[in-house]
Amino acid sequence: MLQAILLGLVAMIGNATFLAGTGLLDRPIVMCTLTGLVMGDVKSGIIIGAMMELAFIGAFSVGGAIPPEMISGGVLGAALTLASGNSPEVALTIGIPVASLALILKNACKIFILPYFVHKADQYAKEGNGKGVSRMHMLGGFLYFNLPLGVFVATAYYLGNTVMSTVLNAIPPFVQNGLTIATGLMPALGFAILASMIVNKKNVVFLFLGFLLAVYLNIPVTGIALLGVVTALIIVGIQPAQVSTALAGGDEDDDF
Amino acid sequence: MMTSETKVLNKRDLMKVFWRSFTMEWTWNYERQANLGYGFAMVPILEKLYKDKPEEKAEALQRHLEFFNTTPHVSTLILGISSAMEEQNSTQEDFDTSSINNVKVGLMGPLAGIGDSLLWGTLRIIATGIGTSLALQGNILGPILFLLIFNIPHIILRYICMMGGYKLGAGFLSKMQQGGLMDKVTYGASIVGLMSIGAMIATMVTVNIPLSYGEGDSAIVIGDILNGIIPGIIPLLFTGFIYWLVTKKKMKTTVALLLILVIGIIGSLTGILGA
Repeated sequence: MLQAILLGLVAMIGNATFLAGTGLLDRPIVMCTLTGLVMGDVKSGIIIGAMMELAFIGAFSVGGAIPPEMISGGVLGAALTLASGNSPEVALTIGIPVASLALILKNACKIFILPYFVHKADQYAKEGNGKGVSRMHMLGGFLYFNLPLGVFVATAYYLGNTVMSTVLNAIPPFVQNGLTIATGLMPALGFAILASMIVNKKNVVFLFLGFLLAVYLNIPVTGIALLGVVTALIIVGIQPAQVSTALAGGDEDDDF
Repeated sequence: MMTSETKVLNKRDLMKVFWRSFTMEWTWNYERQANLGYGFAMVPILEKLYKDKPEEKAEALQRHLEFFNTTPHVSTLILGISSAMEEQNSTQEDFDTSSINNVKVGLMGPLAGIGDSLLWGTLRIIATGIGTSLALQGNILGPILFLLIFNIPHIILRYICMMGGYKLGAGFLSKMQQGGLMDKVTYGASIVGLMSIGAMIATMVTVNIPLSYGEGDSAIVIGDILNGIIPGIIPLLFTGFIYWLVTKKKMKTTVALLLILVIGIIGSLTGILGA
């Protein structure tokens, strides 16, 4: 029981990587080491952590993509392996079904709980309440997922591996799939709101230009943004010389 | 011209933003991604600049809750530029506030490209290599060095970007003002911003229609037909639909989010939509 709670805390520390500058606290090499500490076998924890880290080396957030839930995968994979006395290699196999369940939980939290805080922050902003915005950010991050994750990991360890698989199988696939589809669609909302702030009759054509360049020429977003800079310079008619003078003289005071 | 009167912000203010930037991804959401983290980081700047101007403060706060995403470790570059631009806005009558977000939107993509390959692709890999080789032997130095090798350069870089971003924003912008180039820069920024958004719609809104009719070899997948007309047309149309709902029908974002969820689940159930 105590171990379950401590493991929940380890998971919460891992998720707090997003308070610590996204400084890799959530990576298996760290999580499994701390898990080993809780389970009373640091050395094995470190080794499991290293193996999982290499397995998850390709998992990181790039652009708008979300990586798999490796905090619970790491903590529970290591904990259940150490508890059952199995060899470290087993940790991955144990960790993955749990991580899948955790990912569903994470998405559910992101879809049902988090927006409350984001929209409350919008309200505070409308009222000019900076402290309110700050509060929604700090509190929201903790309540929408940090705490639920801790509870989930503690509970999952307490219940053991087989119970977790049963729960996972009980959720109809179309719901799981539906959540995945929905998360793929959601950025459209953010982009629509953002575009509505910038767009007017004169410049809407450039949105289509960026889109067409991406789909037909497969130019990555970075490339298109840079092309955007060039396009802007051409259309607006600023000469490169003017730009470099502006940038070069940026640090000095002028005597005009 | 940047006289001492137009300089309101000092290093302490920028350091507040620097520390707050560490929480950039704490409330990362599907709708506007790191928007709340960005707004949170800007709060001290806005509180100071618009202390006696509640309406402008409210506008500014809302401004910095818009969609934002870039590599978090270097987000301070854009935060610095935003700080400089807000400083200009607060001390000048005719500053075009839309340029502030245009610059953010235009920069976040390219910065993410560079930042991701630097931090995730290079620095993390080095830390992983050294860390795991020690950790595989059960050596506690493994995880410790892993964290240090990544985070010491990360924090230094974050700091450099903070101060550099502010200097860049302040210097570049004042020159633009002098040359009367501000309108052109605003228009140019909107070009970069919109092209970036167009590209992001194409690459970050992922949905397909796997529905097919016909049998065996002659089966026709609707998604393929649509993509044959224009690739990525489904994300584009969907974004347009959401845009219409939000602007013309004034749908609230909470409702829109729920609607997207329902669409996802029904789409999955009926097989009309696929990931």
